[in-house]
Amino acid sequence: MRVVIAEDAAMMREGLVRLLTDRGFEVCAAVADADALRSAIAAATPDVAIIDIRMPPTHTDEGLRAAIDIRRDHPDVGVLVFSQYVETRYATRLLADRPTGVGYLLKDRVADVAEFVDALTRVASGGTALDPEVVGHLIRAGHHTARMASLTPRERDVLSLMAEGRSNAGIAAALTITPGVVEKHVANIFTKLDLPSSDSDNRRVLAVLRHIAG
Amino acid sequence: MTSDNGLMTALRAPLTTLALRQAVFCVAGVISAAAILTVPAIVAALGILILWATGGMSDQPPPAVAPIFLVLFPLTIALLVVLAAPIGRAMGAVHRRLAERLLGVHVEAPPPRSSKRISALVSDGPGWRAVGYGLLKVPLAIPEGYGAFCYVFGLVNLSYPVWWPLFRNHPDGTRLGPVWALTPFGFIGARTFAGAFLIAGAGLAMLLVAPWLMRAGTRLDLAAMRRLLGPRRLAERVRELQVSRARAIDDAATMMRRLERDLHDGAQIRLATLAMNLGMATEKLGVDGPPPDLGQARELVALAHRGAKDALGDLRDLVRGIHPPVLDNGLGDALATLATSSAIPVAVNVDLADRPAPAIETIAYFCASELLANAAKHGRPTRIRLGVVRTGERLTLTVEDDGTGGANPDGPGLSGLARRIAVVDGRMRVHSPAGGPTRVEIKLPTHA
Repeated sequence: MRVVIAEDAAMMREGLVRLLTDRGFEVCAAVADADALRSAIAAATPDVAIIDIRMPPTHTDEGLRAAIDIRRDHPDVGVLVFSQYVETRYATRLLADRPTGVGYLLKDRVADVAEFVDALTRVASGGTALDPEVVGHLIRAGHHTARMASLTPRERDVLSLMAEGRSNAGIAAALTITPGVVEKHVANIFTKLDLPSSDSDNRRVLAVLRHIAG
Repeated sequence: MTSDNGLMTALRAPLTTLALRQAVFCVAGVISAAAILTVPAIVAALGILILWATGGMSDQPPPAVAPIFLVLFPLTIALLVVLAAPIGRAMGAVHRRLAERLLGVHVEAPPPRSSKRISALVSDGPGWRAVGYGLLKVPLAIPEGYGAFCYVFGLVNLSYPVWWPLFRNHPDGTRLGPVWALTPFGFIGARTFAGAFLIAGAGLAMLLVAPWLMRAGTRLDLAAMRRLLGPRRLAERVRELQVSRARAIDDAATMMRRLERDLHDGAQIRLATLAMNLGMATEKLGVDGPPPDLGQARELVALAHRGAKDALGDLRDLVRGIHPPVLDNGLGDALATLATSSAIPVAVNVDLADRPAPAIETIAYFCASELLANAAKHGRPTRIRLGVVRTGERLTLTVEDDGTGGANPDGPGLSGLARRIAVVDGRMRVHSPAGGPTRVEIKLPTHA
């Protein structure tokens, strides 16, 4: 799987290159700013790009803007936005047109190598990977609706994991319950939130995100 | 190049619209000075008129005169006292408007009178200060009038050769009186066309001098206006405090932003990388049994170890930047510690009987720190002297070095420092001639 990395902190960039190479990814380019990222994407057309939000020259959100451009101009390239803090607005901007092939993770998540690699693979293959923090913010922001309030705590856990982009098996493993129980919870959630049910994970995430990000 | 520019400026000065506006302002100044001078004359004339009307001027004063005069005279004085301040205010307003329209200088209006009562009329500070300006206007009008005179008559004299042939075209042999021209040194007369050019020369000289005279006059006038027609001292103080408060808020916001940036790009990224390296090491060690890749795991743990130490170093620097812990022991200890970390030998001499307010200690410390860094960076000194002395309610911090000098008090570093100390009414003096030595003196109140 081919990856492009855009991260201005050299230490982190080198660490990521090492981690991904070690895990069998092919790192096509590792760059330090948004302009270099854009040309690297155009040149290499990777499966996925890991993009730091804050990069030179202004150190504000050039990474995010580049990510949105890339999603528009290269719909086949998965975009994993990577940051040291979580902004709900950034998440909604990123998910605005279609919540597929996109991820938004805190940098801390690289500490769990397996989970990080799993999220990256998901994004590369058109899935979604949202940080639990991001999902938490989004759900809290949409919490006031009566429908959301009708969910049980367990259903809310399942909803969060669904919104992070996990499959039924992933949810079952995270909550240590059987996939059958997960399916039951999912069905309940869809009924309570009045969402169209769907078999495909992607469409399911889409529906959930539309609902919570409102 | 520069002298050429100077010459051009001097030649062009009389032709600018500014010169024309200044001339109008100066003429207006002369007129108002004349008007002000007539006030005492009118009062005296009124007195005489009263005396005359009541028969006080005749040889045998009727018995009624003395009482009438005794009543009217104090009445006039009282009227003058009551009306002086409002008249002063009105006249001040006119002059402020003149300055704004003609010179483009905005002088803030004083606060309005506190009430409409007669007592408020009499105790109206800004009104009386405006009266003071009116009195000062008389001497101020002298250079202004002189400048305007040179300007106007300079132009007139310069035009002599133009119209000379139109009027002096009498047949030869006609005996004519001289044509007179007015200059600052009296009249000069000319009988010939060449003489007209002499007058024009004098006019040119007057015209060249006039802008500078007018500029000096208006500058003095504007200074007087700002002092006497502007808002009161208290209002100025309030404005000063508003400015320094805004700066303090800005500084605090900037500092928070810098702190966030330092943490984001420093310790935070180091810790994230460290976590990543430890995560990779954990994988290399495997869940149980013999580790699949011990060599790489060791390397990653060593990397993480180094990362942890770097992160600690970053955090230590950051903490010291926020508030040096040694400052808790007093300025003396803190400055001594600061001196030991300087590459250039620093002699510290702190003479404080008791401790100033913590905020002042912090400001003094950071001033010293910045001045030492500045000295080391720009002046290339061989030694620095750092002193703190307390005199009464003020603390004086002095940093002297034997470097090359030439420190610019308006540069970003020193002006930033001056701004920060202005928040607590601190003052900075910089003495740094080219070639050195440099001496920076900062005075702070002992309690903010």
